[in-house]
Amino acid sequence: MNVSASDLLVVPAVATVASLLPLGRAVRSIGVASGLLVAALSIVLLATPAALAGEQRLVWLAPLGLSYHVGVDGLGGVLLVLSGVLFAVGAAASGDAPHPRGYMALWCALQTAVTGIFIAQDLLLFFVFWEAMLVPLSLLIWLWGGPDRGPATFRFLLYTMTGSAVFLVGIVGLGVAARTFDIVDLASKPISEGAQSLLAALFLAAFVVKLPLFPFHAWLPRAYLAAPIPVAIVLSGIIAKTAVYGIVHLCVGLFPLGILRLAPVLVSLAAVGALYGALLAFRQRDTRRIIAFASLSHLNLIGLGAFSASHLSIEGAAIASVSHGLVVAALFLLAAMLALRTGGFELDRASGLGASAPILAALFTLAVVAAIGVPGTSGFAGEFLILSGSFLAHPAAAIAATATVVVAAAYGLRLLRLAFFGPATTTAFDLRLGERALLVPLLALVLLLGLVPALVTDRISTTDLTPHAQVAR
Amino acid sequence: MTPADALAAAPLLVLVGGACAIVLLDLSSLPGPRLMAGLGAAVALAAGAAAAVLGTGAPGFGGALLRDGGALAFTLVIAVATAMSLALAGGYLAREAVPGGEFVALVLLSAAGGVLMAVGGDLVVIFLGLELLSLPLYVLTALLPRAARGDEGALKYFLLGAATSAVLLYGIALVYAATGHYELAALRGVPPGGPLILAGLAFIVAGLAFKAALVPFHAWAPDVYESAPTPATAFMAVVAKAGAFGALLRIVASTTGSAIDWQVSLAALAALTLILASFAAVGQRRVKRLLAYSSIAHAGFLTMGSATGIFAAPAVVFYLAIYGALTVGSFGVIALLDNDDPTIGDLAGLWRQRPVLVLALGVFLVGLTGLPPTGGFLAKLYVFEAAIRSQLLWLVVIGVLASVVSAAYYFRVLLACFQPGDASASPHPAPRLGTVVVSVAALAVLAAGVVPGPLLDLAQHATY
Repeated sequence: MNVSASDLLVVPAVATVASLLPLGRAVRSIGVASGLLVAALSIVLLATPAALAGEQRLVWLAPLGLSYHVGVDGLGGVLLVLSGVLFAVGAAASGDAPHPRGYMALWCALQTAVTGIFIAQDLLLFFVFWEAMLVPLSLLIWLWGGPDRGPATFRFLLYTMTGSAVFLVGIVGLGVAARTFDIVDLASKPISEGAQSLLAALFLAAFVVKLPLFPFHAWLPRAYLAAPIPVAIVLSGIIAKTAVYGIVHLCVGLFPLGILRLAPVLVSLAAVGALYGALLAFRQRDTRRIIAFASLSHLNLIGLGAFSASHLSIEGAAIASVSHGLVVAALFLLAAMLALRTGGFELDRASGLGASAPILAALFTLAVVAAIGVPGTSGFAGEFLILSGSFLAHPAAAIAATATVVVAAAYGLRLLRLAFFGPATTTAFDLRLGERALLVPLLALVLLLGLVPALVTDRISTTDLTPHAQVAR
Repeated sequence: MTPADALAAAPLLVLVGGACAIVLLDLSSLPGPRLMAGLGAAVALAAGAAAAVLGTGAPGFGGALLRDGGALAFTLVIAVATAMSLALAGGYLAREAVPGGEFVALVLLSAAGGVLMAVGGDLVVIFLGLELLSLPLYVLTALLPRAARGDEGALKYFLLGAATSAVLLYGIALVYAATGHYELAALRGVPPGGPLILAGLAFIVAGLAFKAALVPFHAWAPDVYESAPTPATAFMAVVAKAGAFGALLRIVASTTGSAIDWQVSLAALAALTLILASFAAVGQRRVKRLLAYSSIAHAGFLTMGSATGIFAAPAVVFYLAIYGALTVGSFGVIALLDNDDPTIGDLAGLWRQRPVLVLALGVFLVGLTGLPPTGGFLAKLYVFEAAIRSQLLWLVVIGVLASVVSAAYYFRVLLACFQPGDASASPHPAPRLGTVVVSVAALAVLAAGVVPGPLLDLAQHATY
């Protein structure tokens, strides 16, 4: 089968239009199918032995030097698979959204934009998809979100657009100076160290907000809480990973010396953020807020791996990205299922549910165990590689970040103890078949990746280790 | 009149002739305002078609009317924007009891003035164009029968406009005193640095900046835009700016190669305009005023493009074409509502009643913000690229930040449409022609973002 990278874009784009057909509730199966199809096609492309699988290059806007150049590299392919899975799961979990057609059309449009980010090999094309993500995402939060949706959407929009604006200045500046916007061509052009630092800083403005790196995270808790659960899943599970991809693919790929120079600051912020998020997660009394701050902690840890930019730490960041995506999806789903049974997301509504809902308790435990990085789960593989990969160059930050593992255990076990293993004062019905069908595949992937991390690392090491690897070694 | 003269004047003759025919037809009191508006739109399209068919060529009237690529591009933009505004106006004129014949004839005359400004190769012709553009606009502003506001806006516009005409004329006189020529072509050989010519050009630019509503010459715009009949607002927001920038580019072009450097002064105007208009727009509660400030901010982007020199003329034309569709479209959506001057809150519930209009408005507002996949993104990108090429990085930074601020106010309008509510509950169905025009404009803006080729070709030919 001959798959091109554009096919990945066509699938969700067609799904966007198909969602508008009058199908009633069945419309969500379009989103599920689109997600699974993109994941399957990405696996096919990942198996292709080429630096850029399914590459296509067309002139799009000659006077501006804009080309439609797409292709799938290792990290992009891995994240595309994750994206497909999460969009499918999210669509499946969107059953009760009112106005299903509009919702699903926006959902598939969002998937199109996210897919485009991972295949773009032209800076401006990357930026087009990067910005195109905002409209469906903010509409999904604003129109289908919770009570705080208005201010949350605005804060999210303003933060991310400010970052993107600075990013655009960097892109156009670089493109005009180098006379090309093509990422592959740019990678072969020598850029002076001073210019690399400046450009890396301009590009990072967008990525540190979207990740979000401490202290650019003020939008995160509100947006995660205001968003409907499926949107929160993709927001944390895959959209934050577009920033990781941007850091590795663009910043480390094009400006290795600049990242090397900025690394001390970035790595320290990431370490602080990892610890800070974990500590805040420990203090929360609402499951969604715990997940939000735990995500902040994990995303900063992934940032630590990406900024350290050694061979190991980038592999670790890739595994941790996939792992966090799967785990956070499972956790948000579980939190929603728990809330459905207890009437809200507050922790004190549930106590000792393990007795009446053993399967819910078991799956919740597995997800939390993976989140806090217990060996045997994917969470461990990622964290271990990140911490050991960053230790050589940045020992202090790595040690500080290691402390998050302890705090993570504390907030994770606290959550489990309060909800499931305390005195059984409340009861709940156990997971239904449909609910299990959503969770089991996610958690199976978590275990599989924990046992065979090479599934991801082999893709990364063969393809996109950048000139930076030689510098860092 | 030689054949070259006739060819150069053809689009103008179509517009003016059409306006006269409309006035005569109005005497018969037979056709209603809807038919009048449709006829007017047809006249504007015919003028555009005439320009497109005749293409570029030798100038007419001894160089007073030019037929270069820039003239063609601006004529087309003005013709299409005029046709769109008139097509949108039909239902509005009937509903608000605005006299249809007068409205359509004035719009066509004003459009002829805009074209004259953009094709004039002579300072006197540019001045005539400005007057022909402006005088009908003063009347149009006061044309709503029931509103005292209209008189206030019109008077304000007229007094300030008259002062502007004086300033422009004074500038022309100074340039003539310095060079002995009215022809723009003669400016090319002017030695630099004479105080007379510098002062003269400064006055001319100030006059044009007033028409384009650049800060600090913008104070009239929000009042006038708010009080004018909405289709007229849509028209003037695009055509007055097109005329002003057409003339400005011509003056920039004619001094390229001389020692007169526009970059600093135009860049400063652009920066002021972008900053002030963006922040002023955030505070607005009325949609028309908000869009007025937004159009001022977009004039800032156009000025940014003009500041980078004449090689960026295609970027300015491309921006103006996209901006024209977005602006006529967004004012057009307002014109199709029953409430002529809604606050943002009044839009609540619109999604349930008029989903098509809200979708179109969404495309326009996203495009005005400059987000992909609309043409608005490419337009901004084009201008930014030109500015960075001319070492105006600081101005680009201001521009992108202004875009961020603009997201705050555009999205506020868009999201209000989805709020629960029925403040804009309407017994009438939306006018069909208007809905079609708005939908086509929205699709065109989307198409320009994905397949910009044809429009870009047109812009590329805008040479001077």
